[in-house]
Amino acid sequence: MASASVYNPVGFDFSNQVRNQFLQEKGLPLPKATSTGTTIVGCLFKDGIVLGADTRATEGPIVADKNCEKIHYITDSIRCCGAGTAADTEFTTALISSNMELHALSTGRKPRVVTAMTMLKQMLFRYQGHVGAALVLGGVDATGPHLFTIHPHGSTDKLPYVTMGSGSLAAMAVFESAWKPNMTREEALDLVRDAIFAGIFNDLGSGSNVDACVITASHTEMLRNFVKPNERVEKEQRYKFRRGTTAWKKESIKDLIVSEEITPIGGQVEAMDVS
Amino acid sequence: MSSLNDVAGPQQRQFNPYTENGGTILAIAGTDFSVIAGDTRQSEGYNIQTRYAPKVFRLTDRAVLAVNGFAADGNMFVKKVKQRLEWYRHAHAKDMPLHAIARLIQTMLYARRFFPYYVYNILGGIEDDGSGAVYSFDPVGSYERETCRAAGAAQSLVQPFLDNQIYFKNQQPAPGTSFPAHLPLPIVLKLVIDSFTGATERHIEVGDGLEMYVVLAKGRDLSGLEGIVGLQELSTKSDGERIFVIRRELKKD
Amino acid sequence: MNTFVNQFSTSSALSVIRKAQALVDDDEEFSDAAWGSEAGFGNLAKGVPSFSVPAVHDPTAFLRLHTDDHADPNCRIKIQHGTTTLAFRFQGGVIVAVDSRATAGSYIASGTVKKVIEINPYLLGTMAGGAADCQYWETYLGIQCRLHELRNRERISVAAASKYLSNLVYSYKGMGLSMGTMICGWDKTGPAVFYVDSDGTRLKGDLFSVGSGSTFAYGVLDQGYRWDLTDEEAQELGRRSIYAAGHRDAFSGNTCNLYHVKEDGWRFLGNYDITKMHYEGPGDVPGSAKTGYGYDVRVEGRVSSAAPAVAS
Repeated sequence: MASASVYNPVGFDFSNQVRNQFLQEKGLPLPKATSTGTTIVGCLFKDGIVLGADTRATEGPIVADKNCEKIHYITDSIRCCGAGTAADTEFTTALISSNMELHALSTGRKPRVVTAMTMLKQMLFRYQGHVGAALVLGGVDATGPHLFTIHPHGSTDKLPYVTMGSGSLAAMAVFESAWKPNMTREEALDLVRDAIFAGIFNDLGSGSNVDACVITASHTEMLRNFVKPNERVEKEQRYKFRRGTTAWKKESIKDLIVSEEITPIGGQVEAMDVS
Repeated sequence: MSSLNDVAGPQQRQFNPYTENGGTILAIAGTDFSVIAGDTRQSEGYNIQTRYAPKVFRLTDRAVLAVNGFAADGNMFVKKVKQRLEWYRHAHAKDMPLHAIARLIQTMLYARRFFPYYVYNILGGIEDDGSGAVYSFDPVGSYERETCRAAGAAQSLVQPFLDNQIYFKNQQPAPGTSFPAHLPLPIVLKLVIDSFTGATERHIEVGDGLEMYVVLAKGRDLSGLEGIVGLQELSTKSDGERIFVIRRELKKD
Repeated sequence: MNTFVNQFSTSSALSVIRKAQALVDDDEEFSDAAWGSEAGFGNLAKGVPSFSVPAVHDPTAFLRLHTDDHADPNCRIKIQHGTTTLAFRFQGGVIVAVDSRATAGSYIASGTVKKVIEINPYLLGTMAGGAADCQYWETYLGIQCRLHELRNRERISVAAASKYLSNLVYSYKGMGLSMGTMICGWDKTGPAVFYVDSDGTRLKGDLFSVGSGSTFAYGVLDQGYRWDLTDEEAQELGRRSIYAAGHRDAFSGNTCNLYHVKEDGWRFLGNYDITKMHYEGPGDVPGSAKTGYGYDVRVEGRVSSAAPAVAS
């Protein structure tokens, strides 16, 4: 008899990989992960970074969440937009956020954007693309403003304006036509808004509202639902069901108050000390 | 796992002339009217090909056809149905009755049994006896007369709603009352609009615009249509069945 | 030599005519019969209709690729499947009972399908497999049966009608037709039931059930079937069998349609909701036991707390 293994491998468990692949080949569809078929962008301006994201999360062609948050917290002055598998982007950014906090505490300095970028790319590379996170990382540190994209396999880019997700082409078209160096905060915010709009309206994987985040050396401003161009329209009718609409088969009423009589046995019972 | 054979052997390409262009169609029959509706978005994958591609077509003064699935097949099919109805008009000096159009569509679809049109058809209109009717088809021509039917991308979102609101499925009537077999026109129009705004909220391939065709039986007054903005009449005569179209905007994200 | 020139020149009168002819032939989808009232069925009277086939090496494989939802659940064209149908012969004629559910994958495409096809006043066909195949070819069979009557001044026998259908689908064998049907009727020989499927099988018999729920229907049918059933008992047996299949088979259900064929032709007896039959029974109809078919009524008031005393 084989002895039970006491070794717990770190990280993902791939023991069902072969079985699942076999089942998939047999025609059994694997459960679909919620993916944020998304538009996320970032752009550099005079005083820092503006990040932007739409708020639609999909499961295949169905909208799973109409107002999800795709701009994740890393540190006070670093934020990260996530596209790809929703769970992967959320957990990697949360993990890196924790590690950045620990790093900040142990070094006693404000952490740098490159540090977060390196941690993310090393983690994603280690998992060889199985962590399906496509990220836009932006922030301001002691060395100035920085903006990165990180692909699921671990490669990175450092650019003045970046887009990712299924709406990246639509958004990039806007950046390519209108981005210029040394924009003001208002100009940059308007540009990011327009880039996200392009994704929302022209890419079926993106939709609902615009989230934005403005990061400068002194201050970070999270503009949750910065613009809401897709408010839910009012229904023509109210769909309230008359009381008694649902058919029932049987009725049983249970008394939740149970009264019991206790007969003490086994001699003298001392009264509880309640003083 | 790819073996050596897969690489060394002859490569064969599959012939795939079909694609899915999203969108949803829906039709509801009343006692003396029918409503046939469809959204106007045409998409492929995550791209919107156009925000206005009609899926609902007037065939005669009493028949409207909605097509959904593969847009190229759908447009071709509508074209050929219209051609056959034109020929019928020349031969008989009248419009083809609705039940006959339904059978015509069956034979036309079944003629392509071995190379199907990838389209789901819903035919709505007024029957010879003046009743509202809806016929729904599968891609190879099986058909059935029904009171209501949704087809297309969001059919699994819309049809359960219709089952509940029109057939009153899973609803018990108040004691001593019963549910109506047919709903009045104003209620039907509201249900259609709400079906599409609801589908637009939760299905990425539905949106942009809504076209609702209303067919009224001969001699029926316009009650239920008064005060509707953007109502447009499409009928050729004012003494027979009458067709109207109502257009609405849907969300564009 | 002259003919040779004519054949290959591009401007001779003959080649122009030939080209025009080729163009006309190209439009094979519409025959002259399409003009006028025959609505496409016009050409059927003259023979078997023509079908357009994709220009690929293996049209059957092409069709399977796009329509077979068993092999690939994501295939684009979903053809309706899933059924329970039954028919049996007895002393009082033929009982035909079917469910009304149509499924496309796991989606219930319709709960109101007419799976009994009324071929003519004396012949019924049932629908299992491809809905369009059954509807179309049984309608077509109706036309041929009428032509037989006109030609021979006599109604077609059930045996002949079923053989016509069997031969017809056999000529399409391997092309992807999917039908499992029972041709039921009354002719000179009395009540008759024939099973015909798209493989080419044709069987004469007393009792058949076809479809994904047939095993459940057979269970009830076999234990209740006798030749000398009364009309009411036979009708109840048909209903009860479809109920059993609708209850246990996920691809069958919604309602039951019941037909009875007698010497003077078929009669539609009614449409029965399967859920209603479970809780309340089929209603006030001859032969029914006026209680629900579900076992709830059989355990009413019997709970473990009130178990009958076991003899010690």
